[in-house]
Amino acid sequence: MLQINLPENSKVKKGNYFKDKTGSKNLRKVNVYRWDPSTEEGPRIDTYEVDMDNCPSKVLDILNKIKNEIDSTLAYRRSCAHGVCGSCAMNISGKNGLACTTPHAEINGDINIYPLPHLKVKKDLIGDLDGLYKQYKSIEPWLKSNSKSETKEIIQSKEDRAKLDGAYECIMCACCSTSCPSYWWNGDKYLGPAVLLQAYRWIIDSRDEERQARLKKVADELKLYRCHTILNCTSACPKGLNPAKAIAEIKKMLATANI
Amino acid sequence: MENKTPLSPHIQIYKWHISSLVSISHRITGIINIIAVTFICLLASILILGETNYKFFYSFLSSTIGKFLILGLIWSFSFQILSEIRHAIMDLGYGFELKTTKITGLMVIFGSIVLTIFFYLVGKNFF
Repeated sequence: MLQINLPENSKVKKGNYFKDKTGSKNLRKVNVYRWDPSTEEGPRIDTYEVDMDNCPSKVLDILNKIKNEIDSTLAYRRSCAHGVCGSCAMNISGKNGLACTTPHAEINGDINIYPLPHLKVKKDLIGDLDGLYKQYKSIEPWLKSNSKSETKEIIQSKEDRAKLDGAYECIMCACCSTSCPSYWWNGDKYLGPAVLLQAYRWIIDSRDEERQARLKKVADELKLYRCHTILNCTSACPKGLNPAKAIAEIKKMLATANI
Repeated sequence: MENKTPLSPHIQIYKWHISSLVSISHRITGIINIIAVTFICLLASILILGETNYKFFYSFLSSTIGKFLILGLIWSFSFQILSEIRHAIMDLGYGFELKTTKITGLMVIFGSIVLTIFFYLVGKNFF
């Protein structure tokens, strides 16, 4: 349940300091969370001095620079580098976001990089998202149609299609869910903003015929109503979506629907 | 292997936003208010027992600690009322845009201080 402090094995210690070797005058200190599963040691914060004169604009560029030029043991997920795949989601100076779309110029002072909050760490900046994916599967994120004619196109009006705007763009980077205190304390039961936004996306899809069943499924004290409108999710979303509003819409539907 | 896997830092590192601050304050003031209402009911029922009790409470509430307590409770109630209104509006599905939540959050914070001063002055027969 509610545990404010980190468990003993998760306490973060000061780690190594990597002094700049390029002789650059434009340096920036970058503190990065490190944990290596192959050693017995606990997590630590390594500090790197990074030459900003030869570094592109995003936080991911800093990480690439560290990995390529300073310390190749650093592990983090990344793929597209254009804010589409959602791999490089991490906690950057106290706020979740995609490293590839976050400009380092917008951060004041030293840059602190942690894995997404309240996850089991696999290595360095890589958190374990298995629980989230299982929850995503549990809402059955696919079109369910009982209609006999499966060979015909299912028509959707422009208005009905427009309802999906703001919901279908989600890239499942988990920035929102791991920013949510409710999800930290009840992540095993509460579905969290990312999954609930997807649940909403299928509930409002005019082509889907299982609306009632879907609503019934999320109508649960723990699955849905743990949302207390803290709104960390909305402020974290790198795609500018609003999971909190989607959750509120589901609550509204449940309050007015006859289920 | 499983046991030594660390948990990544969460509340220790996450930046506070106005919306999260208002949310946690809403909970804390809620708990304070429940205790306060119980306390006020107890106080009222003890008054039935006679004048000595009245004098005791009067001197307690006139002391610095008592005054601080009263002001704190006025603030706590003011905050709860305003925050509750904000929540009611949100339950209707409005005010979820980031800018709006920031503004309404600030309105709750500053509004609670203004209300506290207002109630204090009302108590002092200022108007």
